Amino acid sequence: MNGSPNFGSGCSFAPWADPHEKPLIRFDAVTKKFDDFVAIDNLNLKIYEREFFALLGPSGCGKTTLMRMLAGFEQPTTGSIMMNQEHLTDIPPHRRPVNMMFQSYALFPHMTVEQNIAFGLKQERRPKAEIKERVEEMIALVQLQPFAKRKPHQLSGGQRQRVALARSLAKKPRLLLLDEPLGALDRKLREQTQFELMTIQEKLGLTFVIVTHDQEEAMTVASRIALMEQGKVVQVATPREIYETPNCRYVADFLGDVNIVGGHILGPDDKEEDIVQLAWHEDYAPLRVRLPQPVTFPAKGKEMWIAVRPEKVRITKDYPTDTHNILKGKVLDIAYTGNISTYHVRTEDGQIIKSQEANLEHLHRRAITWDDEVYVHWRAGGCVLLER
Amino acid sequence: MSNLTNLTEVTDLLTAGEPETPQRPKRRSRMVLPKNFGRCALILVPYVWLLVLFLIPFIIVVKISLSDTAIAMPPYTPTFDWAGGWASFKEMVGGWDFENFTWLMEDDLYWKSYLSSLEIAFVSSLLALLIGYPIAYSMARAPAEWRPTLLMLIILPFWTSFLIRVYAWIGILKKEGLLNMLLMHLGIIDDPLTILNTDLAVYIGIVYSYLPFMVLPLYSSLEKMDDSLLEAATDLGCSPFKAFWLITVPLSLPGVIAGCFLVFIPAVGEFVIPDLLGGSNTLMIGKTLWVEFFANRDWPVASAVAVILLILLVVPIVLFQRQQEKQQEKGA
Repeated sequence: MNGSPNFGSGCSFAPWADPHEKPLIRFDAVTKKFDDFVAIDNLNLKIYEREFFALLGPSGCGKTTLMRMLAGFEQPTTGSIMMNQEHLTDIPPHRRPVNMMFQSYALFPHMTVEQNIAFGLKQERRPKAEIKERVEEMIALVQLQPFAKRKPHQLSGGQRQRVALARSLAKKPRLLLLDEPLGALDRKLREQTQFELMTIQEKLGLTFVIVTHDQEEAMTVASRIALMEQGKVVQVATPREIYETPNCRYVADFLGDVNIVGGHILGPDDKEEDIVQLAWHEDYAPLRVRLPQPVTFPAKGKEMWIAVRPEKVRITKDYPTDTHNILKGKVLDIAYTGNISTYHVRTEDGQIIKSQEANLEHLHRRAITWDDEVYVHWRAGGCVLLER
Repeated sequence: MSNLTNLTEVTDLLTAGEPETPQRPKRRSRMVLPKNFGRCALILVPYVWLLVLFLIPFIIVVKISLSDTAIAMPPYTPTFDWAGGWASFKEMVGGWDFENFTWLMEDDLYWKSYLSSLEIAFVSSLLALLIGYPIAYSMARAPAEWRPTLLMLIILPFWTSFLIRVYAWIGILKKEGLLNMLLMHLGIIDDPLTILNTDLAVYIGIVYSYLPFMVLPLYSSLEKMDDSLLEAATDLGCSPFKAFWLITVPLSLPGVIAGCFLVFIPAVGEFVIPDLLGGSNTLMIGKTLWVEFFANRDWPVASAVAVILLILLVVPIVLFQRQQEKQQEKGA
């Protein structure tokens, strides 16, 4: 563990890849039911020390329940949560070395910024001088020195968010839980705060677990992302892995934009043996996908899907050479969002394929415009094959 | 402030209207007047209400308190003779003196009554708070779908006459009443307790009658409290009990203050409860006033008692309003 832990498997910080590494938090077969509703369904998860772990998913997927179980506000119906070698489930919330930053910030309205931050330290009956020093340190960390004597209702949303962060960090928790911490901030401030969060996490060397429904936020801050759906973890991986090699259509679709084409496995490519062919339409040539190493071939005839990101799909007017998958179609729509243009192309068989081009130069006149006959194409290495 | 904005609005309207309708200046003023008139009329309603039903009667009471008692109809002098006009008015003013107020100071019955009223009202407010807080707290913590029903149950006693409810307490508290029968039946006591016609019965009566006024403001301040604040407190290492004292209690303080005033203010002047449940030793100013007015037919002294009572109550009422204003500012 060195330097910056906030990068994926490309960097040396990857304790999840080391089988000898002991996780800080371990969920073992955890199920949580509210009456008949299963919020968490037989979940296993490991979170390692100094990770910035993101729980991502749509609302109602159970990510907040998972976090509240870590904080101690909910008890698992079955299964166990371990912290190091201790059963976390036996410890009441006020004795856990876990602090939480609430979505609503939950600042005490009758206390000043200082008093809010000092609250947790006072509960531990630390010496006054130490509390004072620590509070000052925290206020400096979140740059709120001029506002120390103010009450929460005299602060802006961004300032309140900082107070909440400082308060949850004051006790140096083993684990900091962030429940949609940036949800109430506007876009600019949110992006800026994301980087600040990462800097603070690195500086203090703490373990953060963040709950968010914003995939960009999760991708930016997290060392690993757990994508959840209906109480289950669908995939746990680094941002890069989860984006580039999703393990199912749900993950591919949830993170970013994606084109998905379904078909049946035909067999290996005649030239390159790590490429598999997928028959997707009887009138058209099969699509080709490069399989990850080590290569394991799926059974012939199996129904599978190809996922390809729009930015990996090229669009040209001329028939391309030196590529694997070529579909002919007509431009249906163009979405211009400044930095990129997204072309929606209806292929001859009626599918819509999205292709993104970076707008490298000032856009005076498009080379490709509505109703143009075009070819969309992508390389075998630019797409993934999905089982479900 | 509001006058000022009104004025600027009027002038704005006037100047704005001018270039467009230069040949019809009459219409312009008509457009302005109804707008202000409506606003004034609306504000006027409560002021007229207070003037007619509070200020004028109070001035009459003050007037009577400055008069002397007389065997006449009405039983005081001097009186104002409408036919006499200005001369009669001057004569009446000339006849006024503070004799009754001096009398109140001299006879210790009155200040003892005042003190005892304040004491009873204070202790009753405290008792109502002690009983009301757990009720309001458990209501606010109850499942959301139960709350309207619980609230209804708190308000329900108001559907029966106040007098009848106090009377009912006689049946409960008297020597051969329900309470004594129950306690003797259970073997807790051998001889019936004397509760009726003591100060204890007055406390019971006041606390019972005014409890809803304590519970309702407490409930409203506890109910709007964010649960995540308590979670945050426990998360930061506070035991649930300590979180209650450090978070819930301070945040419900506005409700506590409002509830205490709502019990204290009417309890000070309470007459029915000490009269029906209290004994001859129970001194309360409302009762003294009643005796002065109806038994002694001394309207001037009774009026003086009422004026002093009002002055005594103005202090907590002003405090109460200050608190309410502060609360509103904070909420805004």
